Amino acid sequence: MDAQMNNPLAQRKRRRKSLVMTVLALVLTAAALSCLLMPFVTFTLNKTSYTFQLWQVLTGYMNVRDTLISLPLTAKAGTVLLPLLALAGGVLTLLKKHTASAVCYALSALCPLVVMMAANTLSPQFIDAGISTVSVAYHTGLLVMLAALLLAAVLAMWAKGGEKLAESIFLVFACLSVGSVVIITVYMIAAGAPALSEIGLGNFLFGTEWVPSDGKYGIAYMILSSIVGMLGAILIGVPIGLLTAVFLAELAPRRLAGIVRPAVELLAGIPSVIYGFFGMMIIVPAIRRVFPSSFGDSLLAMVLILAIMVLPTIISVSETALRAVPGAYREASLALGNTRVGTIFGVTVPAAKSGILAGVILGVGRAIGETMAVVMVCGNVVQFPQLLNSVRPLTSGVVLEMSYSYGLHRQALFSIGLILFIFIMIVNIAFTIISRRGVQISGKE
Amino acid sequence: MERNNIAVLEPPRTPAPVSLYHKQRRLGDGILTALIYLSAAVTVLVLVGLIAYILIQGVPHISFEFLSTGYSALEGGQRGILPMIINTLYIVVITLLIVTPIGICSAIYLTQYARQGKLVRSIRFATEVLSGVPSIIFGLFGYTVFCVMFGFGTSLLAGCLTMTICILPTIVRTTEESLLAVPESYKEGALALGAGKLRVVMGIVVPCAMPGILTAVILGMGRLVGESAALLFTSGMAYDMPNGLLSHIMDSGRTLTLHLYQTAKQAVDPDAFQIAYATASVLLILVFILNRLAGLLSRVFRKDQTA
Repeated sequence: MDAQMNNPLAQRKRRRKSLVMTVLALVLTAAALSCLLMPFVTFTLNKTSYTFQLWQVLTGYMNVRDTLISLPLTAKAGTVLLPLLALAGGVLTLLKKHTASAVCYALSALCPLVVMMAANTLSPQFIDAGISTVSVAYHTGLLVMLAALLLAAVLAMWAKGGEKLAESIFLVFACLSVGSVVIITVYMIAAGAPALSEIGLGNFLFGTEWVPSDGKYGIAYMILSSIVGMLGAILIGVPIGLLTAVFLAELAPRRLAGIVRPAVELLAGIPSVIYGFFGMMIIVPAIRRVFPSSFGDSLLAMVLILAIMVLPTIISVSETALRAVPGAYREASLALGNTRVGTIFGVTVPAAKSGILAGVILGVGRAIGETMAVVMVCGNVVQFPQLLNSVRPLTSGVVLEMSYSYGLHRQALFSIGLILFIFIMIVNIAFTIISRRGVQISGKE
Repeated sequence: MERNNIAVLEPPRTPAPVSLYHKQRRLGDGILTALIYLSAAVTVLVLVGLIAYILIQGVPHISFEFLSTGYSALEGGQRGILPMIINTLYIVVITLLIVTPIGICSAIYLTQYARQGKLVRSIRFATEVLSGVPSIIFGLFGYTVFCVMFGFGTSLLAGCLTMTICILPTIVRTTEESLLAVPESYKEGALALGAGKLRVVMGIVVPCAMPGILTAVILGMGRLVGESAALLFTSGMAYDMPNGLLSHIMDSGRTLTLHLYQTAKQAVDPDAFQIAYATASVLLILVFILNRLAGLLSRVFRKDQTA
């Protein structure tokens, strides 16, 4: 590398390349800015249509039933920032501050997206104003601007050399994926909070009546059903799962383990709809036959299906934990005269305790969050959970009513999503901390 | 006092010692061993029972016609699943096209470029936590963000973007793991030969981790094929035959899983159940193939590591 840089010929070549990139970036900036004059978004309200150029976002408005609606403030901020950032990028490129100019370009490329998102948030307002057919259309100007500015950012960075460009591309993608993690968390809270404040946290969590048409939004029974269903599944799934894990890690002859382990992996990969379908066709009729008083779609069916579904999670995590127990523990126990089974339950399993607990917690998360399989077998009536009656857990509440809900009802569904999210977050954080502790312990030994 | 102490220290009477040559039978041990074997048998039997039941009921109804015709809800209409297969393909291909570069690039940045400090550790923690979030929550998120806010409506594109966010944490995490498993000495060797950082990463680290990355992608593919809750609101329920290669992205379309859900839920006559069984069988076979592929790859990976 150094030798290349010192070479005057290579240096000149590099400088020329850098110049080409700079010029190209500036051309692209000009192209993007010229898009400001192209049509950007068209609203069609019933029969009248309003077309905005990007600069018109600032000044334009729509006359809807004699009220003037203009685009929201975020859209305006986006329109102001877009040319400013793009120009700043151009100036910085000329000043050879490549990193800063690339950042400016990238940010200005985001602006059209912001305007677009803000424009879309208007639709409910039109519907509230009594306009039934609203369609929003975007024009190619948007795409051109986005692509041109992104490319300009890449070129500005490229002027600094391939290594830097690659690193910044990796960085941008990393930011994207980390950003999505952050956004979904923030978003769930933002979407769930309004209904919570309107209904009242106490009424929502502890109310027992769920009649959206009457304005009654109480999810106590749903929470209870979710928890009882999860507990039942854990109660059945953990012993079977743990013992199977013991079998795989300690007792199984190699060939037998070679059959059981892929089976467990496959069990984990089967789509939940198929479990639900299986439950619908086998478990539900079986319950109906054994208990003629029940419809079959019941808490029991839900528990059984969930027990099957949490098995692979518990087995694979526990098996890993059991395998991580140092062989010296086992040998010491056997040397003291303990039997094989005594060693397993007296030494190996206690030593792998935290890993197994992590598996159970992960199973809890899966059981609470499972949706489609449960919807198909639980019967979906909101009532106090009893073994042979139908129940409705949190997840199926969302699935069933999402398609036709609106207004507060829909917001309440988002609040259910938020409660579910908080539940799962607690479970997952517990899992991560406990499984880390397990790793640390086995790492120290 | 002293006398008492001595009395206490006297060893208790023990039963006659067991001879080493007589194997002692312990009832408890026997029961526990039996239980262990029983549990393993239950696990395998549940799986075998489930698969066998669905395949036996479904495979006889799979025909070329079933796989190659459209679907209509009308009585006496076509009962094929070609549109659903195409929709599933769209979802899988487009999502992977988006998620693979993003996932691999972020994993490369997090493991190779970023300073391994608190920030990276907290990012890793966040991805780990998020990879367990149920897909219904991603469905809610995708619906409001991609369908409403971005204005894509219920469309395959919105479904793809939702699924991207849904499987991104898993892809990033698994890729990171396989990148971290590449021995440090490989990198040092390349650096000592004068290779730049980018060349080390793209020429040494990524190729070495390739089987692991591919396994992650295939597992993601399996998840995409099997996903239903996140797609229910985002990609919708339409079953029309696609009428344009590109324009179909903006159409609503149900995948195989949603088709199974819908037909099973609405089925009244045995004919409809046949469709559900056959769809379930197609899904199972697909998942099985992907699963075996992932297993094969990870075996290759392990062999490489030991070599």
